[in-house]
Amino acid sequence: MAEQGAADPGNNNNNNKPEDSEGTIIKVTVKTPKDKEEIAIAEDASVTQFKEEISKRFKAKQDQLVLIFAGKILKDGDSLSQHGIKDGLTVHLVIKTAHKYVSDGASTSASSSTSTQAGSSSTSSPAANPTSTSAPSGSAPPSTQTPNLLTGFGDLAGLAGLGMGSANFMELQQQMQRQLMSNPEMLSQIMENPLVQNMMSNPDLMRQMIVANPQMQQLMERNPEISHMLNNPELMRQTMELARNPAMMQEMMRNQDRALSNLESIPGGYNALRRMYTDIQEPMFSAAREQFGSNPFSALGGNSESGAQPSRTENREPLPNPWGPPNSSTSSESGTGTTGSTSTTGSTNPSVSNPLGINPGSLGNGMFNSPGMQSLLQQISENPQLMQNMLSAPYMRSMMQSLAQNPELASQNPASSPSSTGTNAAQQQLMQQMLQMFAGGGGGGSTQTPEMRFQTQLDQLSAMGFINREANLQALIATGGDINAAIERLLGSQPS
Amino acid sequence: MSGVKVPRNFRLLEELEEGQKGEGDGTVSWGLEDDEDMTLTRWTGMIIGPARTNYENRIYSLKVECGPRYPETAPTVRFVTKISMNGINNSNGTVDSRSIQVLAKWQNSYSIKIVLQELRRLMMSKENMKLPQPPEGQTYST
Repeated sequence: MAEQGAADPGNNNNNNKPEDSEGTIIKVTVKTPKDKEEIAIAEDASVTQFKEEISKRFKAKQDQLVLIFAGKILKDGDSLSQHGIKDGLTVHLVIKTAHKYVSDGASTSASSSTSTQAGSSSTSSPAANPTSTSAPSGSAPPSTQTPNLLTGFGDLAGLAGLGMGSANFMELQQQMQRQLMSNPEMLSQIMENPLVQNMMSNPDLMRQMIVANPQMQQLMERNPEISHMLNNPELMRQTMELARNPAMMQEMMRNQDRALSNLESIPGGYNALRRMYTDIQEPMFSAAREQFGSNPFSALGGNSESGAQPSRTENREPLPNPWGPPNSSTSSESGTGTTGSTSTTGSTNPSVSNPLGINPGSLGNGMFNSPGMQSLLQQISENPQLMQNMLSAPYMRSMMQSLAQNPELASQNPASSPSSTGTNAAQQQLMQQMLQMFAGGGGGGSTQTPEMRFQTQLDQLSAMGFINREANLQALIATGGDINAAIERLLGSQPS
Repeated sequence: MSGVKVPRNFRLLEELEEGQKGEGDGTVSWGLEDDEDMTLTRWTGMIIGPARTNYENRIYSLKVECGPRYPETAPTVRFVTKISMNGINNSNGTVDSRSIQVLAKWQNSYSIKIVLQELRRLMMSKENMKLPQPPEGQTYST
């Protein structure tokens, strides 16, 4: 009765079903959104057998096939008759190809689709790609963005690549970040470091860095609000305060979250938020992600305007853990080639309260970091070969340049910042060490006690009449070498 | 033939056949939840998440209930697979009949297919397509 269709291409009943039982053959149409095939199968066949046939015809693996009939998914253990699949009926097929659904035909694997989309986003066309960047972020491919981190921070960051035992700067960067991420202690140390703090307190410098990134530039063109944010010194300062003070930052973020949830409850507010999100945040994410893995400033700057500028969406995520392991939501870069290390670029999931995926961890990158540097320097001194490699690396040139510029920079900083000569001295000391190291091939300054670091400050303090060296030192450490602040501490602790 | 009121069961049987024959573009599917259900009330539906959205590559399972006054009144629809979408209750997956157009402005010429297709179309809307979705494979507990 059902033995018809000899001429049909779909008639496999003779060849392919050796164990074909006495059941009649039925012809079932298998339909994907792209395709349609007629498959002949025994009436009492199991779903598994059916899938075998399908996998041959559609050239897909059996476990990638999902069959749907009359609104139900057909499980392997079922039989066709169980579901009432009869001759002439249609079964829907979905071929699960890793991440991409068959219908687009654009690509059939996660990596290629992600890199296509991400590749296009890294070629700075955020306008076209907010949609596609969200797709990869949905599927969360791990990726690295080391090279951009370096360039983003300007040449200074070249120094950050200093040895962790590898001559490849990208890897160095990554390792450093990884270390940072795994060690919050180290992170706070970085933050405390006078140089870091100083850099952060210089709004101009930071702004320059941010602006230097071509993507940010594009973003700024398209969204004047962003440049406005960046240009507002008050905002920048506040932002950097926040960046320096992790506790405060977390506090801020939580407040912002609460504010946003309030906003969202306003009728119509939710939609406004969503719109803002798509218009502003998406491109910012893509640009920022590519730039730093975390653009600390714009986002934080935006925080303070949270009421007036509902630019983020409803927060469905748990409040971010800035110290936690980075969530790999970053799009891959032109530098995807840098090995299969997983998302250790110190980026956090750009969530609502952390709109640009700020990760304070990577803030410190590119900055001098005493404990980290110490180990670097040690390694370098131990391994002259490494020095050789480093010297021959292309980055060296830029590093040298930056070193040359650094003293200028360093002196600029204190000029504009409240903390004066004290920090400058500390920086210069560090600089000198670096220079020594490069010149001498890695001997200089492995470990430096705070005492040595703050030598000049200590001298100044004692010249001013603070005789208690211990107390001075403590105060200096606490304030990170800031003499004025140290003095205040000392005065505060001495009731007089 | 407008104005003719097709009896409920005839309509539903028609829809059943349509569902089995796989009419449409293959992105939605529907059928009786229980083949023995003589009242043709409980249906299961399936929506294949549209590409280029956060629903992509996922298969959403739904339950559709066609009450005694169907097709004069709209069916009630409920997602079984967890989904994050406007108009869908986050905790139990029920589709809010007031926020989904076809349900709010139901006509008796509408069908289960149309409801499913509409829900799928909404997945592609700007406001939904980028909503972060729960991990695949989760279902509502009811």
